[in-house]
Amino acid sequence: MAAAERTRDRRERDTLSVEWVKLELLRTAYATRGGLLASRDPRFVLGWYLVFAVVPWLTHDLTVLTGLFLVCAAAVVLSRVGPLILGLFVFGFVLESGYLLIASWFFGGDLGTVLALAELTLKLATVSLASMAAFVSLDPEKLSDALLALHAPAMVAFGVSYGYRMLPVLMEEFHTVVDGYRLRAAPPPPPGFLGWRAVVRVGTTVVAAFYPLMLNTAKRTRTTVEALETKGFTYAAEHPAGRRIRLAHLRADRWDVLLIAVTVLLVAACFALGRAHPLPVQPG
Amino acid sequence: MSGGDPGAPAVEIQGLRFRYPGAGADTLTGVDLRVERGDITAVIGGNGSGKTTLCKTFNGLVPHYWSGSFEGTVRVCGTDTRTASVAALSHLVGYVYQDFGNQLVRPTVRDEVSFAPVNFGLDDHAERTEEAMELLGVAHLADRFTWQLSGGQQHLVALASVLALRPEVVVVDEPVAELDPARAERIYEALTDLNARLGTTVVVIEHHAEFVARYARSVVLMADGAPVWHLPVREALERHDELDRHGIPAPQIAQAVRALVPGAPVPLTVPEAARALAGTPLGGAAPARPAPPPGEAVAELAGVHHGYREVGGGLTPVLRGIDLTLRSGERVALVGGNGAGKSTLLRLLTGLKVPRSGTVRVEGTDTRAVRPADLADRVCHLYQRPEQMFLKDSVREDIAMFPRARGVPDTDRLVDTVLERIRLAGLADRDGRLLSGGQQRRATLGIGLAVRPALLLLDEPTSSLDTASRDAVIAMLDALADTIRCTVVATHDMHLVATWAQRVLVLDGGRVVADTDPAALFADPGLMAAAGLVPPQVVRLGLELGLEPPPLSVAELLGRGPATTGRRAADGRR
Repeated sequence: MAAAERTRDRRERDTLSVEWVKLELLRTAYATRGGLLASRDPRFVLGWYLVFAVVPWLTHDLTVLTGLFLVCAAAVVLSRVGPLILGLFVFGFVLESGYLLIASWFFGGDLGTVLALAELTLKLATVSLASMAAFVSLDPEKLSDALLALHAPAMVAFGVSYGYRMLPVLMEEFHTVVDGYRLRAAPPPPPGFLGWRAVVRVGTTVVAAFYPLMLNTAKRTRTTVEALETKGFTYAAEHPAGRRIRLAHLRADRWDVLLIAVTVLLVAACFALGRAHPLPVQPG
Repeated sequence: MSGGDPGAPAVEIQGLRFRYPGAGADTLTGVDLRVERGDITAVIGGNGSGKTTLCKTFNGLVPHYWSGSFEGTVRVCGTDTRTASVAALSHLVGYVYQDFGNQLVRPTVRDEVSFAPVNFGLDDHAERTEEAMELLGVAHLADRFTWQLSGGQQHLVALASVLALRPEVVVVDEPVAELDPARAERIYEALTDLNARLGTTVVVIEHHAEFVARYARSVVLMADGAPVWHLPVREALERHDELDRHGIPAPQIAQAVRALVPGAPVPLTVPEAARALAGTPLGGAAPARPAPPPGEAVAELAGVHHGYREVGGGLTPVLRGIDLTLRSGERVALVGGNGAGKSTLLRLLTGLKVPRSGTVRVEGTDTRAVRPADLADRVCHLYQRPEQMFLKDSVREDIAMFPRARGVPDTDRLVDTVLERIRLAGLADRDGRLLSGGQQRRATLGIGLAVRPALLLLDEPTSSLDTASRDAVIAMLDALADTIRCTVVATHDMHLVATWAQRVLVLDGGRVVADTDPAALFADPGLMAAAGLVPPQVVRLGLELGLEPPPLSVAELLGRGPATTGRRAADGRR
């Protein structure tokens, strides 16, 4: 213990700590940073997202894909995506690229294999960037209203907003339960090679913490379901008046139209560029 | 849709029997009840007497949602609940749950309040939403997320969301259970205001006779699934023996007046009690309360500052310079309004958090220098919500978890001893979540006892307990002194402070603004108001009668009365 006391000096950290992860998730979920897409009509934001979720799969040209990737990257910057989500993305992207190189080296692949894999990576990356930009800009109300407007089932639209409503509560509860395990379970063993014992301990704790979390949540939902009944949730499913009122505030303006127009132009420009400079170069 | 038959009583029940599906016995066993329009009715009775089930028949959840065997009739404003749907009845009856936090289903306050009117497609939904928020004074919170609100604010929002349908009847299930008394008082003021302004009939389920006396006009005593009687409040409180038998002790002021002026009418408020006792000489000296000899330091905080990051990125300071020594043999109460930093201080003592500046030492160990798990055998923190402490599937396993993990020899015997002490040996194999509130609290105390810490920290150990379970928990805390060197309780419960604590730390604005004892705290109205605290009734009565220092319990007040003055005087003043 004496040795440990000499070396250990814990500090309250504002980044890369559990508290920070919790705050970042909330900032992402509740669109607190604002940005280009946050002030737009949510139906148009979903439309914008759909463009970039579908178009990358319609081409094999790396020039086009690179162009789309850059457009989405610009959207991510303008939408003020937070460091946690962005960091996770970059981490995944770098890891994937490294894996590509290694895979093609070891399994005797040639440039063709690398290009094919690079194409897939680029497509996935583009879609991920678009998802980040869109969903970081939609707060729970907007997302649920947009889904309702696009004729998603009422249960799905409500479920989305209820999920957001419970997110902070469940995160807090999960943290408390995990802390309980940290204090009351066996003291942590020496970390071992690359800290594998610590990793195993964290893993088992997180899994074990789900048991109390699920039971406590089940207990909560009884009240919630009764309350929904009294608040006319099932009534609204059978009577359209509520839906009309809920969606009455959604109004597109010229900026929304401009957003889609610019998006279509940019996508067209990417394809034009791809036609001028195809990659890989088509034989003949 | 709203309004029903204007001539009919708010609630009229005849020959009601109800049994939950699969249950072995009827939960409601022949209820005949009439609640007049514009009444404020308190439904009281022990745990399991059918209070909540009765109230759920008003809005049709029983029998439409809980479809058991249902006999008899329930009419709400003339509408038979069997012929109307839950949705239609919610225009007549609004229901606020005991766990009201789970009744809020939407992210923002405005959306929550407008949810029902929008679902029902009411064209004046915006107007109703504003009106309901205005009525309860939550309009300034309209754009806040519901999870950002304090408990008291959440309760008001839950109430606003049922009022948006402009119901004739509002049912509130145990507002004091999850709120501290000062906030519960605000809820009662709001309900009284609604009743006066709109003529809304209010039905509250309540354990605390003190609130019943102050706010209700009539009282329904439930026992074994049926009303024993339904009486005007003063007549109801006169029947103290009967109330006692059903686990509802009389308010402190009623006990005091009954003992000192037999035959006087039962007082409903502190000033009434003071008038009744005006002629009684109560000049006896206060009993001596010797301060415990200062023990050695168990925990020391020096220059501690701490704060939290917000979603917006700013840093909210919570503690601003705490210097404090907790000594062995002390029973410390940590009091202060919400956000005063009580919970943060407890978390710093466990080592789960380290201060941003300053040092926290527990038994000489700097919390920065060790992992929280290394401190866990010296400090034990019992959370406010017991279910967060139940990590295993039985009480026995939960209590055994710590000693077994640390390889304490003879764990099984230790666990048996602890179970015996907390009187849960018979329920040891049940899941903690399935126990009653008081049993859950005792089970968490058992978890703490099995850790055998030097420093035991408890967060609101008496909240959401009925009076009998609360007294049981306080008695158990009293008995802990032999195994635990220092106990710190963060609480709003001034009854607990008065009867248990020896030292009181008042936190306000992140600083310790007073380090004193209970009697001195209660005698300082400025300090009490600053920290948002309400003294127990008997203390207020003593202050009103000019007793200095004020009595901390009814027994103490009676001790200063005529019969025992001579004996007490010999003890001398403190």
